[in-house]
Amino acid sequence: MRAQDLSLRDQAAAIAAGDVDPNELLDATLTRIEERNPALNAIVETFPERSREMLAAAPDGPLHGVPVVIKDEWPLPWRAQRFGAAELFLATAAEESGPYRALRDAGAVIVGVGNMHELGMGTTGNISVYGPARNPWDTDRCPGGSSSGPAASTAARLVAGAVGADGLGSIRVPAAYCGLTGLKPTFARSTMEGHHLEAVTTVAVSGPLCADAADCRLLASVLFGEKLAAGDAAGLRIGVVRESVSEDVDPETREACEAAIDSLRAETGGAVHEVPLPDIEAATIAGVLIINTENLHGATPERVNNLHPDISPLNRGITKYRMLVPAVALVQAERLRAMMRRRLAALFEQVDVIAWPTVPAPAPPLDSPVVDLPSGMLAADQANVRSAALANLTGTPAISVPVGYSADGLPLALQLQAAWGRDELLLDAAEALERANERRWVESRPRLAEVEPTEA
Amino acid sequence: MEGANVPDEFVPAGLSAIGIEVDEVDVAVMAATHEVFWPAILELLSLDMADVEPELCPDLSRAP
Repeated sequence: MRAQDLSLRDQAAAIAAGDVDPNELLDATLTRIEERNPALNAIVETFPERSREMLAAAPDGPLHGVPVVIKDEWPLPWRAQRFGAAELFLATAAEESGPYRALRDAGAVIVGVGNMHELGMGTTGNISVYGPARNPWDTDRCPGGSSSGPAASTAARLVAGAVGADGLGSIRVPAAYCGLTGLKPTFARSTMEGHHLEAVTTVAVSGPLCADAADCRLLASVLFGEKLAAGDAAGLRIGVVRESVSEDVDPETREACEAAIDSLRAETGGAVHEVPLPDIEAATIAGVLIINTENLHGATPERVNNLHPDISPLNRGITKYRMLVPAVALVQAERLRAMMRRRLAALFEQVDVIAWPTVPAPAPPLDSPVVDLPSGMLAADQANVRSAALANLTGTPAISVPVGYSADGLPLALQLQAAWGRDELLLDAAEALERANERRWVESRPRLAEVEPTEA
Repeated sequence: MEGANVPDEFVPAGLSAIGIEVDEVDVAVMAATHEVFWPAILELLSLDMADVEPELCPDLSRAP
């Protein structure tokens, strides 16, 4: 197996043991990006000299010499973030950011910037100033968003791990669509320093997208600035909610998730409990309103009137519409947030995690991002945020774990959500689920990323 | 006038009131957006949460 095909942790271990030369790994990674990225548009910029400088100066850290991708959402010392867009309301500049510093101090080597959905305003990845990223499992399908590039680059094994951000499912949805594990950390537990919305966001967090939970644990430890201990999730109490998030779901997704919940229960010696959680639909619009107004930070009528001509017509219209969100609805959204946080706090006294599909249907076509659900055809964005918004609204951690494939060969995924600060438990549960299915889903790769044999 | 069903009128008028210009493409996008957002906003507004204590300056990294 080539070094690029090793897991994030195995790359780090092999470099530390002297079995892999990090300079050779960097060169091989850049070569692979050149070979595979044109079909994916996952990485929008590489900077080999900067990467080599990072490697030359890399300290002995947990990711010493390991190549990673970072989403186009944070500045780097040599590049300002573009947020997948032609223009932002706030001026940005090339500078250090929290995720950059965390990666640098861990010894990691940033090899590229990952594509993303324009302005972070979508869960499909089909709109970007760089053009859409493509799903490695089917390049005519959406990779998910807004962390489209981090997901596609990791699923295609351009790198073994990437840093994304999640404000309304933006790590979990692309992880689900691309067959990865993606962690949306507890609010404020991972670094957001240097993000242009850091001062105003109450929903967005940075987080890892990797092939499996152990790699997510490693990368999350770097982003958290603390080592996340591993446990076994023994006796896991799993809450199942009989609401639209688990009922209005395509049959293959539902079947795979129900099987996964059952196998997780068996693996951990735990139990499944049906728990009430009303008002999820209201929580969804509350989360949507909050992020849509927070993302207007810096917007003035003059700036809105002079949006860059290369901002997509869709986001131009939506941006203007957002300027009219009724203040009373925002007050109501905050009241609902308080109510849902109390409900979740009470619920997490009864169960350790709650589980429902990360997305209600597998990745839709890039040219028609709609999904077919029991309730009818629905825009994928609308369907996906229903499953994702609660964790962002309340601040709780959530993880997406691959649990199977559709008849079309597209990944299916289960979401687990836990109480505040119990990110480690989610990783433990994800690893238990991997054990339960003999790592079948986390070891699978899209055809274009099949393991290349080393040369004789 | 059914307010929830006339985005062609009230959305451009509302934006005009705050000095934002719209063209016909904007109006078409906003009409589709309105169709998705507005019923959910109305549902949120209709929830009776008078008895719900607000959480002032919540620490979202912790349980309330």
